[in-house]
Order: sequence, then structure tokens, then C-alpha cells
Amino acid sequence: MGVALLADPPAGFTTAGVPTDDDLIALALSGRGDAFGTLVERYERAVYHLAFRTMREVEEAKDAAQEAWIKAYRALASFRPGAKFATWIFTICYRVCCDRLAKRKRFTGEAPPDFADPSDGPERSYEAAEEAARLRAAIEALPEKYRVVITLFHLQGKQYEEIAEVLGLPLGTVKTHLFRAKDLLRAALGQSAQRRTT
Amino acid sequence: MTDDELDRALFALPLEEPPADMHARIMSATIYRVAPTFQPWELVLLAVAVALVAGLTAYLFGTTPKPAAASTIGPWPVCTPSASSTAPRTCGWPWASRRVWWISSLPFMAPPRPTVYNR
Repeated sequence: MGVALLADPPAGFTTAGVPTDDDLIALALSGRGDAFGTLVERYERAVYHLAFRTMREVEEAKDAAQEAWIKAYRALASFRPGAKFATWIFTICYRVCCDRLAKRKRFTGEAPPDFADPSDGPERSYEAAEEAARLRAAIEALPEKYRVVITLFHLQGKQYEEIAEVLGLPLGTVKTHLFRAKDLLRAALGQSAQRRTT
Repeated sequence: MTDDELDRALFALPLEEPPADMHARIMSATIYRVAPTFQPWELVLLAVAVALVAGLTAYLFGTTPKPAAASTIGPWPVCTPSASSTAPRTCGWPWASRRVWWISSLPFMAPPRPTVYNR
């Protein structure tokens, strides 16, 4: 799909080489479904990652990510040109996840667990993979508000304003949550390192 | 672990791999989604129309005059209000025919406007 897009650039296609998100959105709005497909290819993994980190269940994450993409497709015409598509799709995905979590709370009558099952961590034989698994397990064990901030920090880098936009939180709160989340991660990783040495 | 080390570890962490059918599911729910041939309100309208036609057909064909009925109320001209009160279903035929003829004779086309010339 992406190859066809590059081989047949329409009039007014300004970016040489790889089309930008804005180019793809404009093409999708003009009826080129393959352009939307390329956008999905670009962000599908990140969107799923955010959904999975928030929902913590594969099936729920799959449904939430799909719902986010359907909503984005329907609302594509309302996307502000010049805004960042990643921030927009992450915002949609996060709201979908929040709605689903709220429904889950309502139907089960209990809050989703704040701490992950420690037995879930993948067992790897090599060091790097083991460290990644420990970090992943530590992130999983974070409370929801910290977990989502760390996930977005992972996805969007040090762009705190965008993280704040996605979460609908003040910038100061995001920085505080991130600071606290990193503290908890460091503590968890330190504990797991201690357990390994003893 | 320092802040930089933690940041590096976080950024090096691979993203979760989406399930294999994820992309196909998104595509089939968005760009490859087949638009429904009829809107819901069109389906409701169609169902109502079909029900009306079916009801009318059942009413008319279910009331075909039978020899026994004809002998009791007589032929067409005797389908008077008093006879129709005794055998309303049999008299439905001429009643419906008269209404159909009346509707078909209605002037649905607007008469042509008189031409006005600018002077």
C-alpha cells in the first residue's frame, strides 16, 4: 500500500520521499483508502502498545485499539491540519481505554487490579531480554495513573506537553506523575536486582 | 540506577507486538467496510410497505366471492350497505376497485402555468 502511494504521487504532493502524516491524511480524505492504511501501519503498534498497557488484557487491548482506529477514521475530517497525528490517535485510544475501564468497573463492581500478577513476566535466557522483562514487569506493577504516563513517555519521548494533551492533565501533574513513576520503577528494579544477588 | 540509565532502558524497551490479525481487522472495519445497501430507516419503511401490501393482498384474495357466498348476498349490484354489513369481506372487492379507480383518476400533474410575457 505504501509503495503504491509513493509510486503514484498526486498533484500537490510536496514532501519528497516518505509522505508525512498530514499528506496521508489529506490523501485519505480525498478518498485514497491506501493512505489511511499507511497511517495505520505507522502507528498500529504504538496504539496497541498504549491500549495493552492501559487495559492489560490482549483481547481488551485489541478491541480498544480497533475501536480507536474506527473512531479516528470517522473523525478524520475533523483533524486539525498541523496538529500531531500521533498525539491525536493516542488521545482517542486513551479515551476509549478509559471508557472501557469505567464500564468494566461498573459491571464487575470492582476496580481493576492495580498490581500485575508477578508470574506473568516472560522468562528469557539472555541478560538484555531479562532486563527488559524486569522493566516491563515493573511497569505493569505501577498504579494506572503512573503506568500510562510512563507508557506515553516511552511512546512520545520527553514531550511533556503532548503527554499532558493526551491525558487531559496539567503539565505540572504530568511531570509529578512521571517523577513518581520513575521513582517507583527504580525502587522495583533495585529490589529485583537485590533478589537476584541474594 | 540513574535517571539517564532508566530513560535509556525505557526507550530501548520494545513495543508490544500486536496480534497477527490486528491490521486486517482494522482495515476491514474502516476502509474495506462495505456500506450497507439500505439505511435502517429505509428498511423500516420497506418492511411497513411490504406488510401493507401483504395485508391488502391477503384481504382481497382471501375474500374471493364463492358460489355459496354469492347465493346468499347475490351478484355485484346487490352489494348494498345492508348486504355489505352481512358479508363485508365479499363486498370488499368492489369497494377496493372503486377506490383504486378514484385514486388513479386524481390529477397529480400540476396544470401548465399560463405563459406571461414581459412587456
